[in-house]
Amino acid sequence: MAYNSNSVNISVEAPIENQIQEITYDGQEIYQAPLTLSESLAKYAQKIDFSRALSEINVKKESGDNSDDSKSDGDSKDAFQSNLWPWDSIRNKLRNAYQEVCVLSDVLTIAKEKRYMVLDPVQQEPIETKPMVQIYARKKALTGAASVLLTGAERLKTSQNELLRNRSTPDFHIELLRLRQNWRLKKVSNSIIGDLSYRTAGSKYAQSGMFEVTKAEEEEKSSSPPSSPMPVPAPAKSNSSLRVTVPSELQGVAYIEVLCQKDQEDLCSANINLLNSAPTTANPDVHWQQKLEAAQNVLFCKELFNQLAKEAVQLQAPIPHMVVGNQIMATVLPGIQLVIGLCHSTSSEKKSSQLTPPPSKSDHDHVLEHSLHQLLREVHHKNTHHPFPHPSSAPLGPSKKRYLAGPMAADRYELLEMTQSETLLEQIIKQAQHFFMRMRTEYVLDTIAKEVKDPLISSHWNTLNSPTQSCVKINISTHGYDAVCRTPLVIHVGEKSLKCICRDGKVMHMSYEPQELRDLIFCHINQHQILAVQALAKTMGWQFLGNSNHLGLGAVEPLGNASSCLLASPIGDRLIAVRCEPQSGVQVSVVHSPRTDFFPSRLVTERKWEHLGGQFREVRLEKMEGRNFLHKMELLMASLTSNS
Amino acid sequence: MTTPRGLPQSKEALLKSYRTRLKDDVKSMLENFEEIVKLAKGEHDTQLSRMTQCEQDTYEMHVRAANIVRAGESLMKLVSDIKQYLILNDFPSVNEAITQNSKLFRTKQAECDQKLMSLRDDMAADLYDLEEEYYNSIYK
Repeated sequence: MAYNSNSVNISVEAPIENQIQEITYDGQEIYQAPLTLSESLAKYAQKIDFSRALSEINVKKESGDNSDDSKSDGDSKDAFQSNLWPWDSIRNKLRNAYQEVCVLSDVLTIAKEKRYMVLDPVQQEPIETKPMVQIYARKKALTGAASVLLTGAERLKTSQNELLRNRSTPDFHIELLRLRQNWRLKKVSNSIIGDLSYRTAGSKYAQSGMFEVTKAEEEEKSSSPPSSPMPVPAPAKSNSSLRVTVPSELQGVAYIEVLCQKDQEDLCSANINLLNSAPTTANPDVHWQQKLEAAQNVLFCKELFNQLAKEAVQLQAPIPHMVVGNQIMATVLPGIQLVIGLCHSTSSEKKSSQLTPPPSKSDHDHVLEHSLHQLLREVHHKNTHHPFPHPSSAPLGPSKKRYLAGPMAADRYELLEMTQSETLLEQIIKQAQHFFMRMRTEYVLDTIAKEVKDPLISSHWNTLNSPTQSCVKINISTHGYDAVCRTPLVIHVGEKSLKCICRDGKVMHMSYEPQELRDLIFCHINQHQILAVQALAKTMGWQFLGNSNHLGLGAVEPLGNASSCLLASPIGDRLIAVRCEPQSGVQVSVVHSPRTDFFPSRLVTERKWEHLGGQFREVRLEKMEGRNFLHKMELLMASLTSNS
Repeated sequence: MTTPRGLPQSKEALLKSYRTRLKDDVKSMLENFEEIVKLAKGEHDTQLSRMTQCEQDTYEMHVRAANIVRAGESLMKLVSDIKQYLILNDFPSVNEAITQNSKLFRTKQAECDQKLMSLRDDMAADLYDLEEEYYNSIYK
């Protein structure tokens, strides 16, 4: 039976026309000779692989009837196996169809015989209706669905309740709102990114201050496995439901250390730190506000230091500035260096070890650090606040002066002058110089006040001053005779020089050497003594005969000149000469003329010659009574006057 | 949130997506509930056996219930997303906060300045007196 089905016809029609082999020049077409039957059979047989199916059948049947056919097919298969593959699917389909048809025919044959198999109609099962079971099943299904819904609702409820219960920890969104009000935030795909750089405030520093905002619980879940040894996340959750992640280079605490060294010995040190009581920012349970502020401070310090280092390299100072690692060294005054260092500690242990030494070092002068901050902030401010009016078609930035340069026809020199601006480092060096100048001036004035007791030297520092300019007023007066005479001096302390405005309006310029100021003050003390004596003489009714501030007589002084004056008593019979030297102090001499008793001698025969004066006799001032020089002089004059 | 005219395309799309999410979730809740009710009613022609049908119904109900829960949670997420969006993009309120902050800091600054000034004046006056006293005394 299976064998019969083997003779399924496949009708393949050959094209009616034969293929053209060649067309001759006279237009005659030469056709290919049509294939003979056996040739075409062989051709089609080549394309179909019956081999496997046939061989299986052959094994099953064990009949040798069509052995010729199978043999020939097997031969053709052997010969053309390599060409069979393009027809593989067709072969498979044909084979499957063939198999199925075989099976169908077998079944039909068996069924028709009715000897081995009978086909009976299938009795349809009556539907058993058990309503209760169905209801129970539905009920169960609904219960299940309801429980799913209830658990879902429960979950929502508990989450809501938790929020209500934990009123102490604000909601994530409320925290986010607060964060948003204080910091710049934006949403980038799924994460919230913030910016803590000073760029909006005018900074042009390249480093970005990006930070990421995440929800605390989520963060905890994701990060708890790696950071399991740290027990800190738990308190973090209780503090805030929001977490900020700051890049590692901005973590920790940074400050700028300003040290003034005099030959490797610290004169003063200052530490810049906005957050002196800064908490450890590496610790996650710190509030985000503090964390962000600390990070911002780090960024600011970095920018400041970067700027300073850049300027230190660019500036051409007579003594070149040095930039080594995190330190900049600049020479302020000969022998005095300004050291600016950037300290950045990331871990809390390091921080504590670094933060503790500065307080023990010395009393800080926070002025320098503060002015450093101020300087950079000023730069930022200038970057954003351009002078009005803003041009509509010109770049912002040039100063107002430069806008006017065109209309005012400024020349090259003026333009060059406009482009020069002071760098931060120059400014801070100037401030440091001024700081030293002030310190030195204070020291000189105080030591002189201590050394010199007789004329009182009192100095009053002006309240109004600038970081690079201050002013001190010095009053030289004598105790008890303030009304009689006082010598005021004003000293302007600049960056590298001093300017002294004297009593008579003379202006003296001095360098940074303290000795010059010292000499000047001593010179003025002498002048004061002489002037005071003159003024006193006037009040006493004595006559002022003459004075000289720069006496050419006597021993040569190491500094300045001696000054002197000559006074005469009201009736002119007595003279007092005062000589003031910076070194040896005051000398007073007295002469009587004419003397009360006259004894004519061989040389001076008449009394009238006594009016010419005579020998000066020095008064031993230290033996005299009186609190101070002027008092002694007063007593002296009084005694000499009363005698006459 | 009413959208002002100058809203960029992406923002518009985002808002639209929020709206569609809301509608989809609500619709999904409703539809799933309706389906559950329909299933509870039963009575549909089927070629499956009773037990299989019951099992299938049970399973379908569970899935639909779970869908409702999911839609609910999705709504919660939507609420939180909208909150976040509002917080991050509500520039008028941010500006207000900034203005308020700057005002606060300005007043603080003025206060500090004033205090510092008065302190400076006091100190200057006292310093003058002290300097006077110091330099006029014999103890230096």
